[in-house]
Order: sequence, then structure tokens, then C-alpha cells
Amino acid sequence: MAHLFQVGAGSGGIVVLDLVCRDPKITRITLVEPDVYEAHNVHRHLFPASAVGRKKVELAAEWLRERRPDLQIDGLCVDLTDPAHQTRINAAVAACDLGVCAADNEEAKFHFDRLMRANVKPWTLGEVLSGGIGGWVHRFASDGPCYGCVASYLKRSGPSDTPNVPPADYSQPNAAVAETRIPASRASIATIAGLHAIVTLALLEPHDWTSMLLTLQQVPGVFDEAFRPHRFRIPKSLSCLICSIEPVTATGEELDVALDQALARLGHE
Amino acid sequence: MGLLDTESGKRRLLSVDLPVIEKYNEGRDLEFRIRIQKVGSTLVLCYNLKPGHNVYSIETRLLSSYPTVPPETRIQTLLKHCPHLLEGQTLCLWRQGSTRTSNRWDPAKFTCIFAVQAAWRWLACYEIWHDTGEWPLPEAK
Repeated sequence: MAHLFQVGAGSGGIVVLDLVCRDPKITRITLVEPDVYEAHNVHRHLFPASAVGRKKVELAAEWLRERRPDLQIDGLCVDLTDPAHQTRINAAVAACDLGVCAADNEEAKFHFDRLMRANVKPWTLGEVLSGGIGGWVHRFASDGPCYGCVASYLKRSGPSDTPNVPPADYSQPNAAVAETRIPASRASIATIAGLHAIVTLALLEPHDWTSMLLTLQQVPGVFDEAFRPHRFRIPKSLSCLICSIEPVTATGEELDVALDQALARLGHE
Repeated sequence: MGLLDTESGKRRLLSVDLPVIEKYNEGRDLEFRIRIQKVGSTLVLCYNLKPGHNVYSIETRLLSSYPTVPPETRIQTLLKHCPHLLEGQTLCLWRQGSTRTSNRWDPAKFTCIFAVQAAWRWLACYEIWHDTGEWPLPEAK
């Protein structure tokens, strides 16, 4: 009996959702997905071409109901980071048992991490590399490293300061971000999503690794071999500014007063 | 999202960024201290830097999605058009001199003062470029 909170039902997210929800342990899901199903999604997605123009969150709910009529499904067709919906999103996270992040942009991953840590929930993240040459699956617990620790350890680039760069879109062939311009194949997306689903279903069992990289192709200078797993034990960074800072204990009005005072002090320097 | 309108954003400011700005200002000449303005959901750091010959007036903006999204730095002093200068005199800070294995902006490690130091480095490069025509750091890869 578990409640899954998932963000993202794109070409990878829908596979994870489908596989995880086939497990009878999952009895309820909350799915957050703001996008509409588009023509360029069709060749990498589970839904038919006739569904183009409809909300992905509705299509995902229909797909699951046909296979798991007993599943309780709550769909939120909103952006995870939209301030207007945080109360509802936070309530859903507070009620869940585990989370799946299948978002394709760094801002959403950091936000998801913040939500899960604040509510002390375990979660997983899957990422397909450009061109489908491999992919990552990460697992997080509230007492372990945060997404900031992992991204920092792996020396990832955050969003750049190049203006008006759209977020990475692993399913859109003409995505404008250089690193994600080469689309991944449906097979490579499904492979990493399958791994992501297995890791998610075993999330509550102990493991000695935090991140797994599975190579799917040999790429000179990048991956020496195809089909090789690499497991990483990434430690929680004690100097991480995301998860290890000394917390300010003030809340609500006290917090506002403290902030206003600090800003006023620095406004008159 | 939510630097100024969520508890997590306010906590980040109070526990990380505002204390390091106060530390930066400590003992510094008034002209070179950081002053803060709130503009909508953005926090603007206004300050001057003197990397070499000239004093430059600068604004570093912490957007609503900071620290996930890096600070955005603009030079208010009029510059000659040069490499690594984006529209509106915004500095290209987080790609310059970097490689895929050395990180650019790292939200887990950097505070807004790193952006101030990066602006200082950029301006030092600008003065060298102005004199020699050569940008002294490698291009982004």
C-alpha cells in the first residue's frame, strides 16, 4: 500500500509510471505534468497519434485506469515550480510514500529535491543522456546527499546565463540546448526508464549506492564500452549550501521581519 | 522559484547570502560595498569594482529561481563591445573558461559573492582585452 508522487509523464516518465504502477504495492498516485501531447512526442510515447492536443496528465490517467482500475489517481496539470500551486503540491508530497522525478530541467529537479527533503520522503530520478548513449538513475533519502550534492559531485552544469535558452527536452528532436540536441531513441529511453522503475520499486530497501550510470553505446572519449553499469556512492556534502546549511529557525511572520531587517540594513550600506 | 516569496527562499537568503554580503562589506570602503534593492521578486546587488585601472558600476540580480539559476550580472558603466558580453551589457560568466568537466555555476557550492568575484575576473579580462585585443581566458568548450 503505497502512494507515489511523480513529476513528468514524457517519453521516459510515462514508462516509469506504467512499470511502477503495475506493482500491486502502489495503490495511489499523484502525477504532476503540465504539458500537452504534441505531434513530435508520438514516435517516442505510449499514446497514439489521435491523442495529440490532449493533456498528458489525462492521457496517463486513462492509460493507468485501463490497466489498474483499482488505482487512485490524482492528476495535476501544473508546473511543479509554479508558486500558485505550491500548497496543493506540498500537500500531495506530504501524503506520499515515495517520489519519482522524471522532469527534464534542473530547476524542477532542485525543486523536487527540496519538496521531498522537507517532507522526509525517499525518491528517485532518471535521466537519459543526449543521443541515448546511456543514462543515470539516482536514489535519494532524506538523510543522504541532496540533488545539489550529487550535481556538484558529478560536476554538472546548472542552467547557463545564456539568455532565453529553453529547457532541455529529451523527446524533441530540434531542442535548442546544444547538449540535448541529439534525440535519444525510444529503446534507450525505455531501457533507462525500466532501470528507474526497478530502482524505485526497491527504494525502501537498503542499498550502498546513490547513483548508477548505465552506458548503452560505446562513444570514443566518453564511454569505453556499451552496456556497462557504473555505481557511485556519493556522500552528503557537509558544506552543501542546499542541504547542510545551518537552518534559520524563524517561521512565518518572524522570518519576514528578520528578512526585512537584513534587507533594510544592506539597502543602506 | 520563490527566493523572496517562499520560506525556503527566505531561509536561504538569511542563512547564506545575506551573511556573506555583510561579511564582504565589513571594513570595505563605502564606495565598494554591496547595497541591496528588492525589485519585484528579484534581489538586486548594486556595487562597484576596480579590477585594475577603472571603477565599474555593476548590478547582480538574484532572480526568483536563484540559486538553481545563477545570478545575472550587468555592467552599468558603458563598455566597448567585446567578447563574452551579452545583450544589455550582461556578462557571460558561467561558460567562459570552463570545460565540461569543470563546473560553471554550482548551486551547492557558490553564494552570490562568487558572482561578484566572477564579475571582477571578467572585468580584469576586459581591461587586458581593451589594451591588447586578446581575451586572456580560454573559450568555453
